[in-house]
Amino acid sequence: MNDAGYVDYFAALELTAEAKQGEVRKNYRKMMKDLLLSIGRERLTEEKRDRLLLDMARLNAAFYILRDNERRARYVEDRRRVIALEEEWRGLAETGGAGAEEARRQFDRAMRDFLTTYMEDLVLEAGRDRECVEASNWDRAHERHAGRVLRHDRHRHYQKILERLPFHEVTAPRVNWEERARVVDAILTEATR
Amino acid sequence: MPWGKQETKPRLSPETIDYALAKAVADGDIVNLRQLFAPASPLRAWSPENIYSPKYAYLLPPSEQEGERLFQEALALVRDPDIAEHARAQLEKDGPPQLHAALVMTLADNAVRLGKFGAAAQAYEWLRVRPRMQEEFLRQGDTALDQNDIARAVAAYHAGTGLAYNYAAFPEPLPAVPDYQTRALILHADYPSTPENCVAMQDPAAFIRTALSYVFLDAETAARLDARPLEQRIAFTAAFVRRRDPDWDAFAERYRNTCTFVTAFGRRLAQDTPPAEAEDGGLAEEIEEQQATADPREIEARLLGRSIPEGEWWQYLKELAYEHPAAALFVARQSVGHGVEIVMPRLREDCPLVEPLGLDVTRTSRP
Repeated sequence: MNDAGYVDYFAALELTAEAKQGEVRKNYRKMMKDLLLSIGRERLTEEKRDRLLLDMARLNAAFYILRDNERRARYVEDRRRVIALEEEWRGLAETGGAGAEEARRQFDRAMRDFLTTYMEDLVLEAGRDRECVEASNWDRAHERHAGRVLRHDRHRHYQKILERLPFHEVTAPRVNWEERARVVDAILTEATR
Repeated sequence: MPWGKQETKPRLSPETIDYALAKAVADGDIVNLRQLFAPASPLRAWSPENIYSPKYAYLLPPSEQEGERLFQEALALVRDPDIAEHARAQLEKDGPPQLHAALVMTLADNAVRLGKFGAAAQAYEWLRVRPRMQEEFLRQGDTALDQNDIARAVAAYHAGTGLAYNYAAFPEPLPAVPDYQTRALILHADYPSTPENCVAMQDPAAFIRTALSYVFLDAETAARLDARPLEQRIAFTAAFVRRRDPDWDAFAERYRNTCTFVTAFGRRLAQDTPPAEAEDGGLAEEIEEQQATADPREIEARLLGRSIPEGEWWQYLKELAYEHPAAALFVARQSVGHGVEIVMPRLREDCPLVEPLGLDVTRTSRP
């Protein structure tokens, strides 16, 4: 089972799936403290600022989701379900089985919902949580910048998933990169003729 | 045609299908290619849409296109037995179509040839090769720079930067489109507290870095050129500006003429007056008194080539940047009193791009 791309908040807090609430809180506080110290130490470029903002948002989201039993159970279930749907669709697509298109649509909807809920909506919600605000000093300015950064991150995860999925809008291309380099060369030669 | 009667749809010939597909591929037109396979496509036998009707004339090649190399190559590809069979099957299939990768790849290559970078980026993205194709263009651009072949390097960077994608677009990622009209405002967001404190007055190396980040729409790609000699970066930037804006010379002429016009206002206009410190009855009023027909706002109107009724400085800047992207690098905001700001030409005397971009005011200008 390949689960790359489906954000793993247990891993984000260096926890196992059986971790108790106390461990969630303890690891979050320690990791957030380390992160804030490193922010103070580093000279911030735009790139670094985006990365640190993302790290902070991810820690907040992990804590916010995992410390609440109901949210945690729903997250675990949604993640398990979307991974199972991916497996189902890939199986049908590879064998050319009936219902492949319906399975693809179902998976696509579930995947988009999962990424939007757990990589954007709940991340922003976590930033408004009192305990997260106290630990991370997350404020409106963070939230303003986070929109773009979170969408980028969501798409990076989407790409990770996409890479292993069967092609459906186009047939699988047979790409010969030496031939591609020759095409680029020809295009540039024409452009400068 | 009598009410209630439907025109009978003529039978589609295989040649028409081939020609329509080949035209979309040759034109690098991803939208038309998708439309040809859409549920209501005129190429589908059960669709009521008729490809021979005048409204679909744009889907078929005009006679003069039929002899063109790109069209002939696309036609040969479309007639490849595997591809033709796949296309027919998709047109008969009830459900979402799957386009043949070879068609989409050739379409993307043609779109790059024709400068339709958005279409090319979208097609490469479908094929999951866009980042690597973008890198290949930039790599060959770097190789051209190693050989000091500026024209080829510019063509490569033009294509490479054109293939960028905006993954933060909402709700779906989209090809990144040039948005100079927005970036120019960011470039001039702060009022220059002193005349030297504006983009155009940066020292040459910093100015070239800013110029490249701006024209590439991407600081990361601009950083690839940091290690190159300054002279090469200057020549590259000038050539890139001209490639991005084929109508640059028209702006350059207006720019030179505007500079001549600005001198008519004397040195007072060039002196900086921050908006907060502007006195009542400031420079604008003074000038109006002294030169009843002269209005400093005419400066920005001359730069743009037209006046905007009640136009603010930022409106001029946006339109200027939209028409001539690099123009934003050679202007500055200037307060003229009464809370009025204008956009006016500003340049360092030793700006390395003045000569190659034809901005030298000592050149012959129309009065």
